Amino acid sequence: MANPNGRLHLWAFLQGIGFHPGGWRHAAATPSAVFQRDYYERTARTAEKGCFDAIVFGDQLQGRDAAGRTPGRLAIPTLDPFTLLSVMAGATNNIGLVATVSTTYNEPGEVAAKFAALDYLSQGRAGWNIVTTAHPNSAPNFGEAELLQKSLRYQRAQAFLDAAELFWRASCGGPVDRQAMHNAWFQFDGTLDFPCPPQGRPVIVQAGQSPDGRDFAARSAEAIFCPAPSIEAGREFRDDIRTRVKAAGRDPDGVKIMPGLAIVLGDTEEAAERTHAQLLELADDGLCIEYLSESIGYDLTVHNPNVLIPLDEILATCEFPKGDITRMLTPAVEKGQTIAELSRGYVKKPRGHGIFCGTPEQMANHMETWINAGACDGFTLQPGFMPLELDLFCAEVVPLLQQRDLLRKEYQGTMLRDHLGLGALA
Amino acid sequence: MFLSACLDLLPEESGAPGFAHYSSRAKAAEDAGLDVLILGRETAGGIAPGRLEALVTMPWIAGVARRAAVVGVLPALHSVPFHVARALSAIDFLSDGRTGWMPAVPGGDRFDHAYGPAYTLPAGETVAKYDDFIRATQALWDSWDDDALVLDKDRGEYLDSTKVRRVAYEGPYFSTMGPLNAARPPQGHPLLFREGISAATTPADVRLAAADETASGAVFVKTDLAGLTGTLKGEPSALGIHLTGNPSAADIAAARAIMPAASAVSGTLRDRLGLARPINPFTKAAL
Repeated sequence: MANPNGRLHLWAFLQGIGFHPGGWRHAAATPSAVFQRDYYERTARTAEKGCFDAIVFGDQLQGRDAAGRTPGRLAIPTLDPFTLLSVMAGATNNIGLVATVSTTYNEPGEVAAKFAALDYLSQGRAGWNIVTTAHPNSAPNFGEAELLQKSLRYQRAQAFLDAAELFWRASCGGPVDRQAMHNAWFQFDGTLDFPCPPQGRPVIVQAGQSPDGRDFAARSAEAIFCPAPSIEAGREFRDDIRTRVKAAGRDPDGVKIMPGLAIVLGDTEEAAERTHAQLLELADDGLCIEYLSESIGYDLTVHNPNVLIPLDEILATCEFPKGDITRMLTPAVEKGQTIAELSRGYVKKPRGHGIFCGTPEQMANHMETWINAGACDGFTLQPGFMPLELDLFCAEVVPLLQQRDLLRKEYQGTMLRDHLGLGALA
Repeated sequence: MFLSACLDLLPEESGAPGFAHYSSRAKAAEDAGLDVLILGRETAGGIAPGRLEALVTMPWIAGVARRAAVVGVLPALHSVPFHVARALSAIDFLSDGRTGWMPAVPGGDRFDHAYGPAYTLPAGETVAKYDDFIRATQALWDSWDDDALVLDKDRGEYLDSTKVRRVAYEGPYFSTMGPLNAARPPQGHPLLFREGISAATTPADVRLAAADETASGAVFVKTDLAGLTGTLKGEPSALGIHLTGNPSAADIAAARAIMPAASAVSGTLRDRLGLARPINPFTKAAL
């Protein structure tokens, strides 16, 4: 008999007004709505009707400015994730609510209290996407000169999670592990009296790709976001994670691999391509240059867009690690590209993700192929712009996935753990 | 005259029936005529942070109580300005400006224990850190001008770059660069509520004060239901009443019945209370 939860898991990653940098300008996009409660209530109900496991919001602990200049043509990415998910909790009954929260500029007690509140107010639907914060501009917002070194950030993340777990266990009347209270990272001797989270604790999600990130995920994560440019790459990543999970003494089926998938849909292939072309056109040179500026921590708008990439000038003052920037820009410099040319090319593959462009039928086929190949356990959908692309997906693609017994036809439980097929915590 | 009271999750409200109980208490408080729900707990030492983390709970409560304003009580000495400023910006937008915040010192001991020695403050520095926390948070809200957002799709102008800036706030306890990754809230700043802390140098929007306490500016006078009639006679010009003693919906309705009506029940909380919008010191004066 088919698994009533389906073989395919769907998460909606709803960044700002959509994934595409030019998306906020589309005729059907509603950029002012991201400041209104109605938009989040409606969006959450749409995704819940589409039987998604969860809605996820990313997080940023810095503005989009490069060298102090905030871009004028780029949208605010996302309002405070806890606020949005708390609003959504009040408008829905089943869908999971996953907040991305850094372990670097927070305290375990504070984060544990916030997730306990979200899990309580949603009656068991909270998830925590653990990140360690890699953006250099974050540090000065918290009174620090620079980021912690990467391997230290992961050491802190593990100690942080252990400490947060201690708070949750204590709130549910469980034993308290002294080791988590006194170590190189944290020193505390009391817990807080927030309510026991209905799930015991939020579902743990992780997104790191490095060996440190993979080991952390193998020990702790119940779902993993990742980029997956091809079926082969997806399968390789999934196999590697499953091996590591097993080595950590856990059940590989208890960890869902959920690669990101940006989508642009159309009734015909041509219509989808047209929408995609339109999105690229809406990302004019000014927008593309600001987008690249944000990504390299250097304000390119001070230059004529048609000059060759001024690598030496960029390296002299950019706010990001110079090695990374050199690696990123050298191919374009060697090709003799101008600032505008490089920026336009960069926006075509935002943050290194591809965009799936096609009909609902093609989208369902694509998903089924990946699942059958063992390349993933589902997808983290990133609509090109909002709310139209999510509406289209739920109206056109979801029924196809349900007909093929890939996606649940109704929720099999009320908690996020239920949607992932995870049992209650031991 | 406005009416406020604290709402805190009761220890017996864990679990699903408890959740329904909590939710209906919040709604009943509004229906009974409460104008301002303060998410915190009454303690012998004053109002302290509640059992449910306030910043996560405020947006949810603002959906249950769709008219009343919502004020979050935060641990003043254990919160981070960037996180607080960002969250309250979103909360103020998503509740159409019905929000306030109340950084509080009471109850700080349990946060000292749960956060560790780095947060334990030398004696006598409480007020200085309290003020610094408020100034840093407000500076981040002021990193955006009120009219920075443009949202012109045709011209591709999302915001005016000249109206967003780094603020490089440097105080004795907090420093923060900015800009905040969130726009200035609809109220400019969500209303700052204060109880006690008379040595504070930051100006509060609303003070909760006992009838015999001297407090300047907008005051909600603290009284329990039994003392309400006397308080109304003694303080006829107070802006509001803060009803103490963990009042039930019936208590709130009883208080409302003998109080003058609130002068406004719609618009932002700042407008309802008739308080001036905070000036943004970074905004360039229009020519």
